[in-house]
Amino acid sequence: MSNATLETATVDDHSDQESSEHGPSTGISNTKLAMWLFLGSECLLFGGLISTYLLYKTRRGPDNLPIPTDVFDIPFTSVSSFVLLMSSLTMVLALAAITRGDNFGFRIWLLTTSLLGGVFIGGQVYEFTAFLREDVGFTNNPASSAFFTLTGFHGVHVSLGIVMLMSLFVASWQGKLRPQHAETVEIAGLYWHFVDIVWIFIFTVIYLIPA
Amino acid sequence: MSEAMRTEESRWAFARRLWSTLTLAGFGLLLVGCAADAELDTFQDQGETARQINDLAVPVFIVAGVVLVLVCGALVWLAVKNRVPANEDYQGEFPKQVSHNNTLEIGWTLGPFVIMVIVAVASLVTHLAINSTEANAMEVQVDGQAQTWEPRVVVVGQQWWWEYRYYLSQDITTDDLGDPWDLPPADIVTSGQMVIPAGEEIELIVTSRDVIHSHWIPALNGKRDAVPGLYTPWKLSADEPGVYFGQCTEFCGLSHSRMRMQAVAVTPADFQTWIDSQMKPANLPTNEDSAQGRGAEVFSTYCASCHLVRGLNDADYNGAETYAGSAPDLTHFASRTTFAGGIFNLYNSDYSLNDDQLAAWIRNPNEVKENYANDLADGELPRGMPDMGLSERQISDVIAFLATLGQEPTRAQILATEVN
Amino acid sequence: MTPTNATVTEKPLELESGVTPFVERPLGVLTRPQGGRGWRDWLSTVDHKKIGIMYGVSAMVFFVVGGVEALLIRLQLAVPNGGVLSADVYNQVFTMHGVTMVFLFIMPLAAAFANYLIPLQIGARDVAFPRLNALSYWIWLSGAIFLNSSWIVGGGGADCGWFCYSPNSGLAFSPSHGVDFYAIGLLIAGIASLVSAINLIVTCLNMRAPGMDLFRMPVLTWMLLITQFLLLFALPVITVALFLLMFDRLFGSDFFNPDMGGDPLLWQHLFWIFGHPEVYIIILPAFGVVSEIIPTFSRKPIFGYSFMVFSGIAIGFMGWGVWAHHMFVSGIGPISVAAFSLSTMFIAVPTGVKILNWIATMWGGQIRYTTAMLFAVSTVGMFTIGGLSGVTHALAPADTQQTDTYYIVAHFHYVIFGGGVLGLMGGLYFWWPKVFGYLLNERRGKLNFWLMLIGFNLTFGPMHVLGLQGMSRRIDTYSAGFGFEFWNLVATIGSFIIALSVVVFFHNIWRSKREAADLPPPGPDPWDARSLEWMVPSPVPEHNFDEVPTVDGLDEWWHRKYAIDDDGNVVRISSVQSAAQDGSARGVHLPSPSFWPLVLALGLPLIGYGLIFNLWLCVPGGLMVGMAMYAWALEPVDDPDADHGQHHEDNDGDGDNDGSGGSGDSDGELATVGTPSTQGGYE
Repeated sequence: MSNATLETATVDDHSDQESSEHGPSTGISNTKLAMWLFLGSECLLFGGLISTYLLYKTRRGPDNLPIPTDVFDIPFTSVSSFVLLMSSLTMVLALAAITRGDNFGFRIWLLTTSLLGGVFIGGQVYEFTAFLREDVGFTNNPASSAFFTLTGFHGVHVSLGIVMLMSLFVASWQGKLRPQHAETVEIAGLYWHFVDIVWIFIFTVIYLIPA
Repeated sequence: MSEAMRTEESRWAFARRLWSTLTLAGFGLLLVGCAADAELDTFQDQGETARQINDLAVPVFIVAGVVLVLVCGALVWLAVKNRVPANEDYQGEFPKQVSHNNTLEIGWTLGPFVIMVIVAVASLVTHLAINSTEANAMEVQVDGQAQTWEPRVVVVGQQWWWEYRYYLSQDITTDDLGDPWDLPPADIVTSGQMVIPAGEEIELIVTSRDVIHSHWIPALNGKRDAVPGLYTPWKLSADEPGVYFGQCTEFCGLSHSRMRMQAVAVTPADFQTWIDSQMKPANLPTNEDSAQGRGAEVFSTYCASCHLVRGLNDADYNGAETYAGSAPDLTHFASRTTFAGGIFNLYNSDYSLNDDQLAAWIRNPNEVKENYANDLADGELPRGMPDMGLSERQISDVIAFLATLGQEPTRAQILATEVN
Repeated sequence: MTPTNATVTEKPLELESGVTPFVERPLGVLTRPQGGRGWRDWLSTVDHKKIGIMYGVSAMVFFVVGGVEALLIRLQLAVPNGGVLSADVYNQVFTMHGVTMVFLFIMPLAAAFANYLIPLQIGARDVAFPRLNALSYWIWLSGAIFLNSSWIVGGGGADCGWFCYSPNSGLAFSPSHGVDFYAIGLLIAGIASLVSAINLIVTCLNMRAPGMDLFRMPVLTWMLLITQFLLLFALPVITVALFLLMFDRLFGSDFFNPDMGGDPLLWQHLFWIFGHPEVYIIILPAFGVVSEIIPTFSRKPIFGYSFMVFSGIAIGFMGWGVWAHHMFVSGIGPISVAAFSLSTMFIAVPTGVKILNWIATMWGGQIRYTTAMLFAVSTVGMFTIGGLSGVTHALAPADTQQTDTYYIVAHFHYVIFGGGVLGLMGGLYFWWPKVFGYLLNERRGKLNFWLMLIGFNLTFGPMHVLGLQGMSRRIDTYSAGFGFEFWNLVATIGSFIIALSVVVFFHNIWRSKREAADLPPPGPDPWDARSLEWMVPSPVPEHNFDEVPTVDGLDEWWHRKYAIDDDGNVVRISSVQSAAQDGSARGVHLPSPSFWPLVLALGLPLIGYGLIFNLWLCVPGGLMVGMAMYAWALEPVDDPDADHGQHHEDNDGDGDNDGSGGSGDSDGELATVGTPSTQGGYE
């Protein structure tokens, strides 16, 4: 993926320049525009999942089994949310580093971002297992099904983001990611920030607003 | 060129003649089609709400028809008037190249808008009217005591029949009903046919015990979905006594098409008679060796785990062993004119019992109305009536028993369901 | 000659220092194809035109499949108590008929038009991401085949209706695997549409030729662009619904199980939030096609271009606020019903504007009745019927009588068949010479048209009567005595006339192809048409435009042939031959073909089978997807082995597909192919 990323960017600059000279366009590169559109679509995906959770968040079902709200550990999740938020900051720093040609700084910040994302995912895995120990399972009732589906979808998004960042890291390590490829990093960053922002919504809606 | 044009011309004349002939023939056919007996026809309204709906819909249909004629007329007129030869190298003078006219555009944006505002207001008025319920009350005698009853029927759908529950001695509301799988005991429970007093507005509370169904008696009112876990209010009324046909209209699985019902409207006096007879438990046969007596035995052995006959098995009855937890209450089976989810006539046109059909049904229900009641997996509950493997003798006995249950319907009612 | 804006010589791609293309070739059969010959070329092509053709051909195959299902339905209902199908099979057949016609016929047929025509109409050499485009097609096809494979391996098709309302779609009520195939098959097909929507939106926004401002784009491109936006935002909603359904059925969750506190109405809301925009996704492309055909054969510009575009946009927006009109009797409460009833009525206004503009275009025109024009005009008429019956059930009270009856079946077939299919059929006749280089015979075409129009009206016209007489939808049989017999028989006869017309269509393709050898070729512009695709040879050369044209206004191509003098008369200023391009350019940079989209797409059904039958199957499926993504990404931007006469340039590399319609990584593909350039460099 890394190779492609680089070469993509190379062609990208080339083509953008031309299209802005000769054809009317948005002035946003194709790849970046595609990412914005994709994220627009993702808003509706998470919108649907969050609405489902809101509808179901107190439904215990006829067996009156526990729902996630019963066993929330808000301080713990607050810390992992903070970790994820910090990763957005380090992502910004990584982009700044590559823009000014600081490869070493870029790799450090990229790695930090991935690590922070990894910590968040680790926290989520820990949280899920803790819930399962307290008998809050996926099939308990609509409330827990909706909880695991929503947070699970978000977790998958973060994980794919980490894969993406690591691909960039490897590319940089091999010396293939250069300042002129900053836009590729920016696009990866867009995705990463989006996933973080979605988590702020989810955290507020699920954990902070009382049932 | 002119020769070609002439042939072209005559071809068009022929097309026009053909078209008008076809149109005339079409209208003729339309009349033939509509003249047929149509028990579910939405235009033959027999109740207040259905009439209000038609009072709204028919003028809109007419307006829509006028618009349609104008648009299609314009198309056909332009098609004929502005026609030039279709060959690809046609090189005649170009017409005037008109590309826009904003006044016109704004006009035909506002024109339809104004029409739609008028239609919308009319629609809203009717919408509010058919969704409001008036506080209605009638006198009924329950166990010899006069009661004020707000006519209200709880309508419960399940695969593939309707249950109608009447709570006469209490004013039941949605909050009292609780779980649709465990409704409070009703004074009268009937299935497939809802008996209502003519001229009264009946409030319906519609729900379901398995999938979504939809309750629809076209002559009396539009439809309302029966959603499991949800109690939805609706209403209907019949102007005159009569039998009004209905059909489940939300796709509900295998035998969706064979899930029908009738609303049987009777005079208030007949309604009281009906209540009196329905409130009674079944008259059990006294002679155990008669066909009826043996039939009661067969019923107790094979049927009683699902069906209730009050007076016979109410002590042991604890809901049906089916997916929906219900099966038709047969205490007054013979007082109805249809069975098996409103699809078969219980009586022949000579008013005798339709025992052939009844026997076929009991012999193998899946054969005459497909269901999921046989060959079940472990722990799976039947949806529909299973084949109980009764012998012919047992079948005729149990039919003899069933025929004794309830007061026979009137001949007019029997004839009215003939169309089934 | 055409005014040429700068001929920018496009350098063969030069990689920045330090970047060496990854050129090992360890992949045997999947070695990077060179393109150009035989079936392997079709499997690996990234050419938007070939992909468009493949969409079209596959769509017609599924049209036949869905059509056979329709004929079975009509045979069963021809007479009371029909015995052609059992209730169980009937339920599967009508479900698969709906799903097939919506997702596997009309959407891909519209996608065929979008793929083929958008780049040509905006003056581009390809779409923004050619390999993603191939990926969309292959994913869609694998989803379509997966969905239909449930007939063979899933114990029958889905039996829950295309709308698949819960809880009837739950495991308790539909225990066969049909519904699993429905959910996963539509998820896979949804990924395809999402990728394609992003791709085409970027193409429309970023790849236009010089001077091709948004408001110079042909109406068809506009309608297709709006369609892609609708897809972009509607698909994630159905994706959520399908995931929840899949989790319910395969993993035991309780989203739609009322026994466990689930809410069946949640499915309805999610489904129709997608499902109503879906109606416009189906109809807007046909509106676009009609808006191209009517001006051409009226010899006049489209009347009220800006109103046509804005009414399309208005429909696109308003289409999001009307979904609950499918739920007027579901018990959502009188206030919601009133609100959605109002919003539904007012969506009639922009639709009416379109109809009146088409009529105004014909007004004062000189109308040439080719088959394409006949289809286009009848589309306007038939859609008007569907639209007006739609107004009658926007009235919530009337809808309580009409919903779920055959009146609705009549309504949406007048919209989807009368509006959508007839319109796209016209489009097929119109663009056929452009795509295949020969004209379809007009005499047989007219026979095809009249049979289809008459058959269509005989089939669906009577359904208005049946519905108002109280015949319910989705019933596998009906009794005699309700007055349903006559019109059902008529409808069945009509359906066979439609089938006959489709046979005539296929026959026409075959015969016209044979006869074409003896006829003069149609040339670039057989219809004296208006938009840019008609200035290039028929069939369109692989590189589309020898030189990317500079656009000065709407109907650019027409204005290169004609001018309007001071008296308002049209004068010819250039012959087609001199104004058109001859397709002789060589050395135009084109994206290199690739097998990886196909490999990636084939992994998805494996994951699907794995979810249903044995989770271990997901492992090879997932590996295929992952491997294809990385191989795709590592595939060199510029194929060093490509022959230089046909200089290839690739735009690379994305792996944006994680199989969930969910996230993906960011590095997309991009193309320089839309840039104005000619490269004279012969080898």
